[in-house]
Amino acid sequence: MSWTLLVTIGFYTLGLLHSCLGFYQKRQIFVTLALGLVGAGFLFHTIFLVGLGLERGHFPITDLPESLSFFAWSITLTFIVASIRYRYNVLGAFVLPLVSLLMILSGVAWEENHAIPPLLRSRWLYFHVSVAFLAYAGFFLMFIAALLYLIQEKELKSKHFRFLYFRLPALQACDELMRNSLFVGFIMMSLTIVTGAFWGQQAWGRFWSWDPKETASLITWSIYLLLVHYRLSGGWRARRAAYVSIAGFASMLITFGVNAGLHAYL
Amino acid sequence: MSDLVLIGLNHRTAGVEKRERAALPATEVPGALADLTARPGIQEALILSTCNRVEIVSRVDETSSAFGVLESFLAEVSGLPQTELADSLYRYAGNLAVQHVFRVTSSLDSMILGEPQILGQVKSAYGLAVEAGASGTVLNNLFQAAFRVAKRVRSETSIGEYSVSVSSAAVELARKILGNLGSKVILIVGAGKMGEGTVRHLADGGAGSIFVTNRSAEAAGELAERFHGTAVPFDQLRYWLAHSDIIIVSTAAPNVIIDRGMVASAMHIRRNRPIVFIDMSVPRNVDPAVSDIDNAFCYDIDDLGAVVEANLEERRGAAAVAEKLVHQETEAFWARMKSMDVAPMVVEVRRRIEEVCHSELERYLKRNGPRDPKEIKELEIMVSRIAGKMSHPLVTQIKSAHEDPTHERALLTVVSRLFRFHKDPG
Repeated sequence: MSWTLLVTIGFYTLGLLHSCLGFYQKRQIFVTLALGLVGAGFLFHTIFLVGLGLERGHFPITDLPESLSFFAWSITLTFIVASIRYRYNVLGAFVLPLVSLLMILSGVAWEENHAIPPLLRSRWLYFHVSVAFLAYAGFFLMFIAALLYLIQEKELKSKHFRFLYFRLPALQACDELMRNSLFVGFIMMSLTIVTGAFWGQQAWGRFWSWDPKETASLITWSIYLLLVHYRLSGGWRARRAAYVSIAGFASMLITFGVNAGLHAYL
Repeated sequence: MSDLVLIGLNHRTAGVEKRERAALPATEVPGALADLTARPGIQEALILSTCNRVEIVSRVDETSSAFGVLESFLAEVSGLPQTELADSLYRYAGNLAVQHVFRVTSSLDSMILGEPQILGQVKSAYGLAVEAGASGTVLNNLFQAAFRVAKRVRSETSIGEYSVSVSSAAVELARKILGNLGSKVILIVGAGKMGEGTVRHLADGGAGSIFVTNRSAEAAGELAERFHGTAVPFDQLRYWLAHSDIIIVSTAAPNVIIDRGMVASAMHIRRNRPIVFIDMSVPRNVDPAVSDIDNAFCYDIDDLGAVVEANLEERRGAAAVAEKLVHQETEAFWARMKSMDVAPMVVEVRRRIEEVCHSELERYLKRNGPRDPKEIKELEIMVSRIAGKMSHPLVTQIKSAHEDPTHERALLTVVSRLFRFHKDPG
């Protein structure tokens, strides 16, 4: 395993620890430190992925370990952006564990030698798969925001002011985070479907084939379209939206996992 | 030799009547300090008198006799018989006195842990002592250190952070729901005292616009004026419910003024934007069922009490950290103070020896007439060297007395006696 990857994992782990500490102790200093550490890790992760891409001669998202690593990278990116905007103690503690998990899985599934299926040798690969992962990352963040909203709302309505009440951000803040990540995720998802259509045209001669992954992503996209509509038209009942976004996230996971039919290379 | 002692009573050791009698108004403190420092064995003194405690801190010649002097002094100024006073008094000496001063100033001994007023009160007491000339190097160092420690406690622990009053708890809840309150609309229903405190907190925290309504238009107008808000007619309550984000209800009405139905329709008009009710009235004026409505939050006085209690619990956690900090600072301060103590003694020992040597030389020169300036110079050098050689072993012993605390006191007392130090210089 290359040393950049080890350094990356080291920084991510330290960042996760500091986030959890800051979350538990409610001290801002740990959260700031965590952001710095994760930022450093992100830098090395980028170097690693770029190096990997150059070494293998293609954008590193052609097999499972590569995509897991890239997915972790996308989540870290959204985490950093969200953390700079909203310095919430809680984000790191909830988001970073997934990053670490993905990195571990990627390491475990690592293949030194692999051949790219001929279908993946295309410029569209870069664009389509990277926006897909950014969409996943955005929706994941929205899922977390929805969870936080529901938990905090429960604390506030139950009128028992306990552990989580002190540590979660204001309802309004959770709602804002939900809204922002929704828009980012939705735009990315739309781009994913569009670029996928164009790539499909190039690779298989058809814009749309109704293969399992395409269908699943259309369903996911529709759920989020519903949420966007809800948001824009007003009458936004945050709690209901939170539930729907959890459903949307489940749909997203299925979309990510479905690798049959035309999309069967992973 | 000097020692540090402290006596006092506080809200835990004495009831309010005793504390009232023992308390000294600020005008009487300078006189009392002058009286106190004139008494035998009392070198420096400071009197702290607040509604929750009366304490006297003093640098004294000798600890055990000093307690007696301070206690009889307090009995005199308070008019309380000494036996009655003795029941409530706590006594501290040496580093325990330092620790107590640090704890009190950092609000760790206060009735409400982490309260901010005590620091100001200690600073005033210190100011009075300095003005009256009752505070010298030791107390000056002690209290300046105490202010630094209090600042550290405040900034390094979260002891001051949680709302422990009902009004600030209300604001905290509003923030937890609505986020930043800057653009939010507040409606005050009624003119109750409790409501006022909350509005003041909200206004200070930078809330948006304030509207006031009351069955009596006059009362509404008066309150509105006080908060730079706008009075609105009571019969428009339904309209204002729909257009406000935070509603504070504090009236004398014995029944529900705002029911579930009213809030449901308000929410409909508001497109479900969140709304927070703070019902400070007893009996409640807001239907508790309002809480069941999506995005509507209603808190009564008991709920606010629960927030305060939860916050106090958090403060207690922070207090544990603060106590450790204070303990460390006490040790550091005490070590510094001990090392400082010998400095004046060393200076005095050297001075006395040199004085004797030089005065003898002068007498000799006077008796035996003028001499060659070079010879005089040499004699002066010789005399200085004698003085130095005599004082050097003494000074070394005094300074190293620190390393051996058991013999230290004995040694320093002997040195004091030998050189007949009556009152310690410095």
